[in-house]
This record gives sequence, C-alpha cells and structure tokens, in this order.
Amino acid sequence: MDTETDTQIPDAPARRGWRGRLYHGETRIDFMGRKWWGIGLSGALILITIISLVAQGLNLGLDFEGGVQWEVPSANLTDAQARSVLSSNGITTTDAKIVTVSASGQARLRIQTPEQKPEVRQKVSEDLAKAAKVNIKDISTNSVTAAWGTEITKKAVRALVVFIILVALFIAWRFEWSMALSAISAMLHDVLISVGIYSVLQLEVTPATVIAFLTILGFSLYDTIVVFDKVDENTARFAGARLPYDDVINVSMNQVLMRSLNTSAAAVLPVMSLLVVGAGILGAISLREFALALFVGLITGSYSSIFIASPLLAWLKGKTPKYRSLKAPRAIGIDLERLVMGGSPAARREAQRLRGSSQGDTVRAAAIAIATPEVVLSHPPRPRKKKRR
Amino acid sequence: MRRKLVYSLLAVVILGIGLLTITLAAGYKPALGLDLRGGISVTLRPVTGQQYDKSSLDLAVERIRERVDSFGVGEPEILRQDNAIVVNLPGVNDQQQALDLVNVTGKVYLRPVLACASPTPSTPVTSIVSTATTTVGSSTVITLTPPTTGAAVSPGSTVTTGSPGPSRRVNTVPPTTDPSATTTVAAPTSGSSAGTSTTNASATSVPAGSGGATTTTGLPFSDPTQTQILPTRDGGRCQVGPSGGTGEVFVRDSALPRIIGGGWGVTVDLKTGGSGEGVWNALAKECFNGTATCPSKQLAIELDGQIQSAPTVQAEQFTGSVQITGRFTKAEATKLAQVMNSGALPITLQAEAVQTVSATLGKDSLRAALIAGAIGIALVLLFMFAYYRRLALVVVVGLCISGALIYSITSFISRFYNGVLSLAGVAGLIVSIGVTIDSYVVFFERLKDEIRAGRSLRNSAQRGFKAAFHTILVADSVSLIGAAVLWYLSVGAVRGFAFYLGLSTMVDVFVAYFFTRPAVLLLARTKYMSGKTIMGMETSIDGTQALGATS
Repeated sequence: MDTETDTQIPDAPARRGWRGRLYHGETRIDFMGRKWWGIGLSGALILITIISLVAQGLNLGLDFEGGVQWEVPSANLTDAQARSVLSSNGITTTDAKIVTVSASGQARLRIQTPEQKPEVRQKVSEDLAKAAKVNIKDISTNSVTAAWGTEITKKAVRALVVFIILVALFIAWRFEWSMALSAISAMLHDVLISVGIYSVLQLEVTPATVIAFLTILGFSLYDTIVVFDKVDENTARFAGARLPYDDVINVSMNQVLMRSLNTSAAAVLPVMSLLVVGAGILGAISLREFALALFVGLITGSYSSIFIASPLLAWLKGKTPKYRSLKAPRAIGIDLERLVMGGSPAARREAQRLRGSSQGDTVRAAAIAIATPEVVLSHPPRPRKKKRR
Repeated sequence: MRRKLVYSLLAVVILGIGLLTITLAAGYKPALGLDLRGGISVTLRPVTGQQYDKSSLDLAVERIRERVDSFGVGEPEILRQDNAIVVNLPGVNDQQQALDLVNVTGKVYLRPVLACASPTPSTPVTSIVSTATTTVGSSTVITLTPPTTGAAVSPGSTVTTGSPGPSRRVNTVPPTTDPSATTTVAAPTSGSSAGTSTTNASATSVPAGSGGATTTTGLPFSDPTQTQILPTRDGGRCQVGPSGGTGEVFVRDSALPRIIGGGWGVTVDLKTGGSGEGVWNALAKECFNGTATCPSKQLAIELDGQIQSAPTVQAEQFTGSVQITGRFTKAEATKLAQVMNSGALPITLQAEAVQTVSATLGKDSLRAALIAGAIGIALVLLFMFAYYRRLALVVVVGLCISGALIYSITSFISRFYNGVLSLAGVAGLIVSIGVTIDSYVVFFERLKDEIRAGRSLRNSAQRGFKAAFHTILVADSVSLIGAAVLWYLSVGAVRGFAFYLGLSTMVDVFVAYFFTRPAVLLLARTKYMSGKTIMGMETSIDGTQALGATS
C-alpha cells in the first residue's frame, strides 16, 4: 500500500530514503505494533537478571561488606609473596582474595582481607612496600568496617526511595499519574537490567557504581519525560480528532525519535571516551567503574523510554473511559506518516488532493480524514467563542 | 525586543568571560579531592549505642579541624555528613598518623592548674608571672561564683535549686551576685599573683622551653592521669595536674552563656550526689584553699588537649549550679558553654572507613579523566557540526560559557566553602555534558519541526524555543530533584557527584534561557541562518518558500 501511495503522490516526502526520513522527522515506525518485541526482550533480560541475582548475587565491593584492601604495583610482587606477607602478619590467607588488576602496562595487585586492626594494616602496608620494592606512598589502602558498609547501603536505599516518591509526585503534578507510573517503571527496568549485567558478569559493585546507577535513574527519567512532554502536547493537539491513544503515542515517538537518538549519542560519546580512552588506553581503573555502568544505563535508558514507558502508558491510558471507546485500527504506514507530519504544508496539499480523488478503502479514508487540516491542527483548537463576529 | 536579546547575549558572554578572568587572575583553582591527588580519608562515626546529638558532632568536627590545622596538613576537608564525620587529609600517607590526628575524645577534664605561662615565652620571667595571671585573667577570668555565696545564701540557694529556666531568673539575681563577683575578682587576682609568683616563675620556665617544641608539632594528646603542659585557647600554656573529674559532673545541656554582672559568663548546673557535686566540690575545695595540688587556685577545663578556660575558684562549696564569669565576649561564652555541654555527654568516635589513595594513582586518574573528557567533548561537537551544521556554532559557544561558569563557581566554592572536586564530581560533570547537549538537541529539533510546518525562520525560532524551554524545564527539574535528594541523604562521594550534577543542571537552564535563546533568535534574523546549508533543509527568513514543494 505504501508504494502505491508513493507513486500516486509524487510530491509526498515519503520518497526520501530512510536516512532522509529520519533526518527530516518523517519516520513512520509503528512502535506500538512492535511493542511485544520490546516487552519480550526486556522480559527475557529481567528473567536472566533475576536468575543471576538468585544464583550468584552481586559481587559487592569492600565498601559494602567491610574489610581491608591494598593495591600494590605488582611489577616485583607475586601472588605468593603477597600471601606470605599476610600470613607473617597473622592474617589467614584463606580469607584473602588476591587479584591482579591490569591497566595498560601497570599491573596492580589487589589484596582483600576481612577487617584488621590499624596497627596490622600499617604493618602490612610497610611489608608489602618492602616486598614489592616500592615506596609506601604508592600503595593505596582502603579499610571499611562492616557496620559502615551496611550503613551506606541503607542510606543509598533511603535516598532512592525518597527520590522515587518525589519524582513520581512531580510527574503526576506536571503531567498525570499514569505517566508517573510508566516513567518510574521504565526507570526501575533500567536499573534492574544494569544490575543484572553487573551480576551476570560478576563485576565488582563499588560506591562509584552506585553513583553511576543513580545517574542512570536521572537520565532514564529525563529521556522519558521528553517523550511524555511530546505525548502530552499531542494529546491536546489531537483532542478533537478522537484519535486512539496508541496512535497519539506512535506519532509522538516518531516525532521525538531523532531527538532521542541524538541525545543518546551525545551522552554516550563522552562516556565511551571515558571507557575507551580513560579506562582502556590510559588505564584509570576508577574511571572504568563509572563508565561501564553509565554506558549500560544510557543505552537501556533510551531504549526503555520508547519500548517500556510508552507502551505501558498506552496500556494504562487505553483503559480510561475517554479512550476505551476509541477502537479504530491503528494508523500505520503512510497514514501514520501523515499524522506525524500533520499540519505541514505538504501534508495539507496531499490531503486536499486525495479528498478530491475519492478512492481507497475505508481505513485509509478514515486516516485521511484524520490528516485533514480541519482536524489535525498544529496547535490545540481554540475554544469556541460565544459570539461570532 | 531585539535590543533586549542583544543585551542578554552580551551580558551572559561578559559574565562568562569576566568570571573566568577573575578566577584565573586571582589564582583560584578547584581544590582536588583525595582520589585525584592522593592522601588519606577517614570516616568516623559515634560508637553505636551511644546517646549524642548533632551539636556534639559539630563540636567534634571543630576539634578535629583545630587539631589537623595545628599539624599543618594542607587543605584538609573535614565535614559532618548526617551522623558521620568525613576527614580528608591530602598528602598524608601514614595511616597511624591520620588516625591519631582525628582521634578526638570529646571528653572534658577538670584539672587543677599548677602554673601558667604567657603566649610569648621570650618575655622576662617576672612579667611571665604577672602576665600569666593577667592573660588568663584577660580572656578567661576567673570567677567561679557559686550563686549561693556568703550572706545571700538562703535566697541564692532557693534560686539555684529550681533548675529549669535559670536564664529568666538570673536577670533579676545579678544585683545580689554582682557585688560579690566583682569584689572576689579583684581579691584573688592580686592574691594569686602575689602568693604564687615564686613558684610560678620556677614552674613556668620549664614549660616555656618544652612547650615551644610541642606547639610546632601540633596540639598535644591529652593524658588525664599525668601532669602535663597544655596550651590555652589564647596561645599560652599551663601546667596542669592529673584530672580530678570529667565534664560529666555537669547536667547535660544546662550550660548557658549569659550576661552576669555586666559581662558575658556561663552558668551550668551540677548533678546532685557524689558523681556531680561531690566530685566538683572536692576539686573546688583543693583549689579554693590553694593546696599543693592546686597552688594557682585555678581549675582548668580541658578538652582534647586544649585548656578551654582556667577560672579561679572563688568558693569552697557549691550547690546546684556554678557561674563562670570574666571578660568573655559573647562568642567566647557561647563556645565555653558548648564545650561544657558536650563534656557532660561525650561521644566516642570510631573510624569506620580508612582509605589511602596513592598520589600516583590519583594523578593518573585525573589525567585520564581530563583527556577522556576532552576527547568526549570533541566527539560530541563533531557530531553536532555534522548534524546541525552552522547551528552547532551556538553549541560550541554555549558549552564554552557553561564551562567557564562551572569552572569559576567550582573554584569559588573551593576557595571559600572548603569544597573539593573529586573523581565522582568529574564524572558528574562529564555526564552533565550529555544533559547540556540534550537541551540544545531538544531546541533544534523543535526548530526543525516549526520550519517544517512552514513557518518563517524567525517565527520558528521563537515558537521553537518556547516549546523546547518548557520541556527543558520539566526534565531539568527532575535532575535537580534527584541531585537535591542525593545531596541531602547520602555520604561521601555520592554527595560530590550530586553537587556537580545539580550545579551543571542549573547552569544549563541559565545558559539555555540567557544565551541560547538570544543567540538563536538573533541568528534567525541574519543571513547566516538562511539558505540550504542550515540544518540540511530549506529555510528562508520570511517563510515564503514552501518547503515540501522544492527539490
């Protein structure tokens, strides 16, 4: 049907290639028709996450579990030497976890043990410096009591709960409750999937990771809100057209698609740079902890605002009395495109032409009727005045 | 309209350049956090199960700061975050030293004074003796006047026994206590200087030498079981005997600064029974009679190795409450009252987390973050130019202005509010690039929509901004809510991150309204923006060209 229409209307901008259409905001992707792809993919990922969380949990770092950690440049230090240093200071080496963290040429030995007394910590640092033939200043140590770890975890959770409540109230006040619910669900989905990746790959969760997760929350919401702002605007715009909510969402998502892609690219580029240049080439381990979680979160954030938040919103809104009765088939293809571009001079001309040539099936006629300038306005219809001049 | 836009544009550009110039000229720089330059971070928390309140934590922070400063650690960062205290000591590598530095007990000891020296030990011996009494006299005098003195016993005691709300009553009492206070001030000052001048001279000559050495290495550690030489708040030193009691003789929160007899002083209630009045009166008796353990008749109130006040005891027996009068300023009296209150319920702090970052690791991280950040920004700008062509110029200038503002504000905050830029903060800033770019993208996409709808460029810019700014405000509000919640409810690195996220979000809104708007609106009126190259689509200043019809 698309091609047929295209040949009929030589002026239609649909002639452009997909890149051109994307660039000019003339896409006609039926997101709602494909919502099960997204839901299926997310469902699968969440299932994997849950299985992994139950089976192997998270690799919580020192700051959450308590203990002591030394990081020693390991050019002259072997695993066995490190263990002998530990045992000579009365630490049972079976409790110690020793891993090599390599970062571009400079390998560091990361030694983790349960909590130790300050004197023992100092002595071990000195002995390690001696064994590795480095200055004691080059050894990084980190010691946290288990109680403190629990405390900061509690604090992070409390902050998260307060944040979610406040944001939900804000969105509900600014837009509506169903949007708040959808946005928060999408956000939780992002965090869950990011946590899942950390669990599946058994990456260590550090305070830096927590910060990155919090950023993901912010970014995911930001993205969703921009989409919802458009939906909100289009709801008003199509108020007179009695357009099903699915269509309103489809139109909105096509309209913000380019912005979503651009923003994601703009946000992902610096993070990729952190990950590849900072952590990879220059070998800053602490940067990797941030960048990895951010990278994952940014991608799921953009994805969820389109594939999770919006279908959920459509489902919630579709149940309301206002939209329940509107059961028209979803506008797809060229009809969707007209809706997306509704109000533009090209669309107006086209609608004029098609109305003159009274051909086509009923669905198309309905869609065209929607696309006519009388109904689809570029701004909400002005309230009717009592007295006409 | 046009003039307004030009003014706004100029004002923002001048603001950005001006602030940056001031910052650079004054040499302010963002102070770097521990994780970027190495050092030790200690997180302290009261041992669980203790009763304490925020003010005693604040006092502990102050004590740690004085102690750390006295050891000359450069740019320490000491913060109370909720019920934890975070002490960041850049450049310190010895864990034990760091732990000693932050080891404040919050315990107040009452120690009899053996002798005192003036702040400058180089002055002749005789004048040391005289100034010893006068310095102590000038700042912290010195009259412990039990409200139940002499003839006024019965009215005085009835006054003091009613412990709640003595502040109101004292206003009426001063006439009765005042004469006794003033007379007693005069008598003991001359009396003690005359009576103890010889012993003081010999005693102070010793502390003068050894004391000079101790001050260079910072505040000494309190050992309440030994005779020690401890510094006073005004820079002098006193030799004090073993502790005769702790601040726990006082009733919690009863110490109040108030005007007593024309000057500021402190009143505090004593606990009844042996643990309060009993201990205090035993000490008071010793000092009042000037026995060998307390020849100077002064009783020092010591907190963590520093003598807060060394008043002369004016009575043998105290019941109910104690007054400390002297030539205090209001601030000094408040401080003393605070010390006594905290001493009544000392908190024991425990190091919960100790983190050492090696200097090399810190520097490497900073360098990597800066290089990666620069490359990231360059990539984003390239992308912007590829996509928005000429309009990307606005993004470049806008980012420069945001950068200048954020750098200046960060530097000012480092300089005046003891804030530091940590690795988490740097990450927050890099992430905020994305948010900043997003507001441009939202605006430009709106602009394209409007142009596509057949509006003139000039009209499109105005309508587009209005709609886009609405979106930006809503989205940025959410970011701000997030940053604020994190800032209030979290500890440590997360806080630094939240601060910079919040800061850059606010700068984003500011730049969007006062720079991007006028810049694009003005550009939309010039030839620069018209023509095919702009954003890859056909535009015209007046919108006469029908868009879909060409090509």
